Amino acid sequence: MAAEKKVMALFENDTRAASAIEGLAGSPWKLEQVHSPIPSSKILSVLKVKKSRVGYFTLAGGIIGFLSGISLAMYSGIQWNLVTSGKPVIALIPFLIVGFEFTVLFAVFGNVLGFLLQTNLPEFKSLQDYDERCSGEHFGILASCAEGQQEALLAFFQEKGGEARFL
Amino acid sequence: MPAMTYAQVEETVLKTLRPASLKYWAVVSLLFIGILIGAGCWAYQIAMGIGVGGHNIPVVWGTYLINFVFWVGIAHSGTLISAILYLFRAGWRNPIARAAETMTVFAVCIAGLFPFIHLGRVWMVYYMLPYPNERNLWPNFQSPLVFDVVAISTYLTVSSLFWYTGMLPDLATVRDRASGLRKKIYQIASLGWTGRYEQWRHYTRAYLFFAALATPLVISVHSVVSWDFALGIIPGWHSTIFAPYFVAGAIHSGLAMVLTLMIPLRRIFRYEAIITEDILDNIAKTIIFTGLIVGYAYMVEYFLAWYSHNIVEQESFRWRAFGDYSLQFWIMVICNSVVPLLFFFRKVRRSIPWLFFISLLINIGMWFERFVIIIGGAAHDFMPNAWGLYSPSLIEYAIMLGSFSLFFFLFLLFVKHLPSISMTELKEGIHQGGGHGR
Repeated sequence: MAAEKKVMALFENDTRAASAIEGLAGSPWKLEQVHSPIPSSKILSVLKVKKSRVGYFTLAGGIIGFLSGISLAMYSGIQWNLVTSGKPVIALIPFLIVGFEFTVLFAVFGNVLGFLLQTNLPEFKSLQDYDERCSGEHFGILASCAEGQQEALLAFFQEKGGEARFL
Repeated sequence: MPAMTYAQVEETVLKTLRPASLKYWAVVSLLFIGILIGAGCWAYQIAMGIGVGGHNIPVVWGTYLINFVFWVGIAHSGTLISAILYLFRAGWRNPIARAAETMTVFAVCIAGLFPFIHLGRVWMVYYMLPYPNERNLWPNFQSPLVFDVVAISTYLTVSSLFWYTGMLPDLATVRDRASGLRKKIYQIASLGWTGRYEQWRHYTRAYLFFAALATPLVISVHSVVSWDFALGIIPGWHSTIFAPYFVAGAIHSGLAMVLTLMIPLRRIFRYEAIITEDILDNIAKTIIFTGLIVGYAYMVEYFLAWYSHNIVEQESFRWRAFGDYSLQFWIMVICNSVVPLLFFFRKVRRSIPWLFFISLLINIGMWFERFVIIIGGAAHDFMPNAWGLYSPSLIEYAIMLGSFSLFFFLFLLFVKHLPSISMTELKEGIHQGGGHGR
């Protein structure tokens, strides 16, 4: 099998970048990565990506948090089994406040965990195939091709209005 | 005004991270001295006992609790601006959201110090935590003071994570323009962010959930703080309006502190093109709204006292306006409810010196609001033979000075070492064609 060659193209706006991504879809070349300085709905729509699943982690965290908060308050109440201020040992209304705070806390933990797991952060390897201008004002597309086709891929990107180079 | 380009946004923000001048370090050093004075006095209090403070029976909650509520209040606007306005898609939040979030994180940290200081025997702080112990002594989760521990810890954790997660793309931008050791530090801090579409896909979702979770949290935290008082039976405290009253007051003081911080920041860092007069105008308009709510709450308290026919409550409120702390009361009313009405005039809202001056007055007024509620309630309760007055001791003033110094010290360090304006959000604003702050 021929060795893979990588080409990085930079575009000044996401419309051109999205058009180049669409062009790559019907080509023998492989789209490796897209970098952008801002979240672009145009790019995400041409990539036809699925909805993020971060929300499931957030929801799971929230449920765990609520149950933990309520359980902790109940357990503490039962351990110190004494009626205070005329309130029952297991007093649901005040315990709901604790449950609410724990819900938010654990939902946020779930949110962060989901975000980190799904984005594979922290991760420093991909900095090798990355152009620093992509955090500035350029939209970068990294594509690969079989050896010998890199000139055609380069020309394709240039035709789409990008500034392309071999990696 | 024409919208800026991505490059202009970056240049303006990154310029602020260049090595600081001697003036900057001189101010930082002064603030550090303030911190040392506060820390020294706290150490003195630990050694000598809590009695070195001015609080005593019947007023056992003094400036430590006033400052606690004050700083929690300041902390509220950061999340309000960042989370609530994000959900409402109010573009004018973008240039000020980062600084406001930072203000929140530092203010909560400082607020969290005051219960420790007030404890006296600070090494006993672990008693507040629910840990298994052989005496079966657990925190009472029916107490608003324990709600407070849970709420403030949650708020600090959530605000810090929200702040840091929102900063990841900007840290990557700084990394990409830095060199040497700085590059390595920002590389680690940005967790290797490269703006890959998978990253953005999950980031935008996670950020939305952050905002959605932080919004009810903001409201709950100051409600919980208000219940520290409202769940007591002291006249002037035992009121059902306390939760919304405290939340509105917190937002009022936080917005004023945003102006107090942003106006010098705007001038020193030449942020005039980013933090436009329109944005300051919008903050001022929001302050009119919160000021009216706060003013309404002051009036409702009097109405409730009159309508209740409860002579203790009526005496408490008569004394508030005409008693020993009447000066503090009128400072509170004028600074919080009357002075902000000047913002009805467009000329005042567009005048930077007026905006700054009024923001300072509101900060002062909001500090006195906490003074009037906390001290006023405790000093003048049911039985005349139990009435007493309070004035802070020098140690308390010094610790207060330390807390303010710490806040501004941390903020100054932040503005020179981290991007004080969210470049990503400004770029998004430009990309969507809405300019960067509309």
